Amino acid sequence: MLSLASVTKRYGSLTALAGVSLNIERGEFFGLLGPNGAGKSTTMSLIAGLRAPDTGTLTLDGQPLNAGSAVARLSLGLVPQHIALYSELNADENLRIFGSLYGLSGSDLRARIDAALEAVQLTDRRRDAVKTFSGGMQRRLNLVAALLHRPKLLLCDEPTVGVDPQSRNAIFEYLEQLNRDGLTIIYSTHYMEEATRLCSRIGIIDHGKLHALGTLDELLTKLPFEEEIRFPATPATAALAAQLPAHGELTTTTDGLHRFRPHPATKLSSFFSLAESHALPGRLFTSQRPTLEALFLHLTGRTLRE
Amino acid sequence: MHTILVLVRKDFTNFFRNKPALLLTFVIPFVMIYLFGQIFGINRKDSGPNGIPLAVVNLSDNPGAAKLVDALKAEKSFRVLTKFVNPDKSTRPLTEADARALMQGSDAPFRFALVIPADLISTKTIGLRFKILSNPRNEIETQTVNGVLQKTIFTNVPELLAQSLQARAKDFLGDARLQKFNGAIAGAVAGTFGGDKAQIERDLSGGDFGISQLTQSPKPADPTLRRLDPTPAPARSAASVAATASAAPKSDPPTLDSHPSPAASAAAQIIKFETEQVVGANVKSPAATAIVGGWAIQFLLFALSASAVSLFRERDAGIFQRLLASPVTRAQILLGKFVYGVSIGLIQLLVLFFAGRILFGIEVEKHLGLLILVCAFAAAACTSFGMLLAAIAPNAEAANGMATFLIMMMSALGGAWFPISLMPQFIQQFSKLTLVYWSMEGFSNVLWAGMSFVQLLPVLGILGGITAVVMSLAIWRFNRGKIFE
Ligand SMILES: Nc1ncnc2c1ncn2[C@@H]1O[C@H](COP(=O)(O)OP(=O)(O)OP(=O)(O)O)[C@@H](O)[C@H]1O
Ligand SMILES: [Mg+2]
Repeated sequence: MLSLASVTKRYGSLTALAGVSLNIERGEFFGLLGPNGAGKSTTMSLIAGLRAPDTGTLTLDGQPLNAGSAVARLSLGLVPQHIALYSELNADENLRIFGSLYGLSGSDLRARIDAALEAVQLTDRRRDAVKTFSGGMQRRLNLVAALLHRPKLLLCDEPTVGVDPQSRNAIFEYLEQLNRDGLTIIYSTHYMEEATRLCSRIGIIDHGKLHALGTLDELLTKLPFEEEIRFPATPATAALAAQLPAHGELTTTTDGLHRFRPHPATKLSSFFSLAESHALPGRLFTSQRPTLEALFLHLTGRTLRE
Repeated sequence: MHTILVLVRKDFTNFFRNKPALLLTFVIPFVMIYLFGQIFGINRKDSGPNGIPLAVVNLSDNPGAAKLVDALKAEKSFRVLTKFVNPDKSTRPLTEADARALMQGSDAPFRFALVIPADLISTKTIGLRFKILSNPRNEIETQTVNGVLQKTIFTNVPELLAQSLQARAKDFLGDARLQKFNGAIAGAVAGTFGGDKAQIERDLSGGDFGISQLTQSPKPADPTLRRLDPTPAPARSAASVAATASAAPKSDPPTLDSHPSPAASAAAQIIKFETEQVVGANVKSPAATAIVGGWAIQFLLFALSASAVSLFRERDAGIFQRLLASPVTRAQILLGKFVYGVSIGLIQLLVLFFAGRILFGIEVEKHLGLLILVCAFAAAACTSFGMLLAAIAPNAEAANGMATFLIMMMSALGGAWFPISLMPQFIQQFSKLTLVYWSMEGFSNVLWAGMSFVQLLPVLGILGGITAVVMSLAIWRFNRGKIFE
């Protein structure tokens, strides 16, 4: 449906996107996972036609996506990273404005607004100025404002920042419902939990480069280990840490945590007997299934939240 | 204490980061003080206005009249025109008809003319008769010109005045009796104040009452003069005669000359000015037209730049992203702002003019159609100004700072605060570069001069031109600038 080929975008001397290539199929729930400044919003803005790439091409349904193409705009919906609403106006008025800009009017628009407000549980606040909304409520309105015209492709740029777990869950369910009904979604986030839960396919992006691309399982097989053991980097564990490189890969995160990934040949039981020999209690150690977080660290050398 | 110092330092750091605040704190007041200083002549040896155009038609062959013309030419408040230049570069003395012609039109070069009639000194009435033609678009200017004219006439040609008295007395008393009267007065003066009776008598019949000595170098602040009340007896009686014999004087004593000498105020009553308004004679409130127009346009500028600056708010809120992702183009966003600005500006101007109608009786309905047209053009020019600000400023704060500065400058220069003719010539050159000037021109052309649509076209053209040029610049800058990034 959408394809990016060697897309590059520079802001002055800063390269925000360095040759990103990507194909997105109809009906996909695609996740773009990366830390601050990775280039997620830049990617979204290029797809939405807000900016033109310096090099490379973007196509939607085989048609080149050049900035200003009216047809493309009608089939796209953008949920900006920041709350992009008229805060002095109420929820109803905001939706009426954005719906009208897509050529909606009359009872059709009316019905869509009602449904949208219902879907994000804002019906009883529809006449209140948006500035009186809580952060989570604003987020929800920000989301449905991009859906009134029923786009084929929805671009969600970190739509859950500052939303409490309950509202977040409501948003997830709503998006999953929309996706089941056939909406293609590109979802950017720096929460690996979100990407893990929502996305059928994930791209890991950092410093403007797409480091990995695939389903969750495909991505995790890229990790050269199956299990990761974490324990605090303290003087008490120093002696153990000194012995570990012989048995696997040891890294230390900036927040003072050792991460040990045993070689395939190394048995977990032998690791724990080694720990016992240093008189270290078992509660110091946590064992983890490989995660996107671990993959990200493995690929980029930094954590997602750095 | 340390805490407070830290907090104070933080404010200073912020303040010096904020260029617009710096501009508002230091530069704008300085420029304004300079402008006002120029107008009120602080630091100049000669205060008061400079070079107000004045057409002078001299129909009298009295040598005193020629002297008056020279005095007017020497008066730096005026730029005097006495000759009509024919197409072949030859000249002839200006006629009253020439003067009237010079005072017509949208950009009339002269708004004031002095006609010195052939019968300047009449034996039928006491006093001097002058005719002032005016196109008094602005009350301050009119008052100023009247004041300076009267001051000049009085301080420079007292003998004209005295000649008039003597002529009247001769007519009234007969030659012989006048001579006797002069002799008696001279005797009384010599007896009371001392002096040579023969000399005094000669002076009296020549019309020299000693006023010239008093007023040629008027030192109104001189305490001795004030204490002694030195008004010469003849002048004083002349004043009382004038008060009864002549119709009530039309205008008040000079306004600019804030310390009129007693003699001057007495004499002001016997110089009669027949004032004829050449343009707008039937307009009910001339002063209000300029005042309402000037302030309305200034606040319109403030309102419209604020609305243009809201572009920054929308950008910062990310609303442009949402709009531009929908089937909305940059041009449409800008055009939307423009149409909004023109509409709100038009409404604001009309509301203010209707308020002027209620408060001051400005005749709005009579010219409603053309007034709406001019207001729309003025609103368009003001809107484009606001849009250009938003286009060139890096952020809302900077735009607001620049707006305040430029609006105050344009209002002062363009004549919204005081008549531009009161400003020094070199500053006046900039007036016509401001849209405030042309908007006010438009208002006064409609409400004051009662012009027709065709006569309005030049001003509309200029306002439209300003709008087109400024908007093109703004759009060009918007497309290259950061506001849509
Ligand atoms: N308008 C801009 N002008 C200059 N540089 C920019 C601009 N927008 C983004 N950048 C830079 O481009 C890089 C990528 O930014 P982008 O906003 O795409 O990151 P992101 O992945 O969305 O980050 P975040 O999670 O913080 O939203 C960053 O280094 C950022 O500083
Ligand atoms: Mg972002």
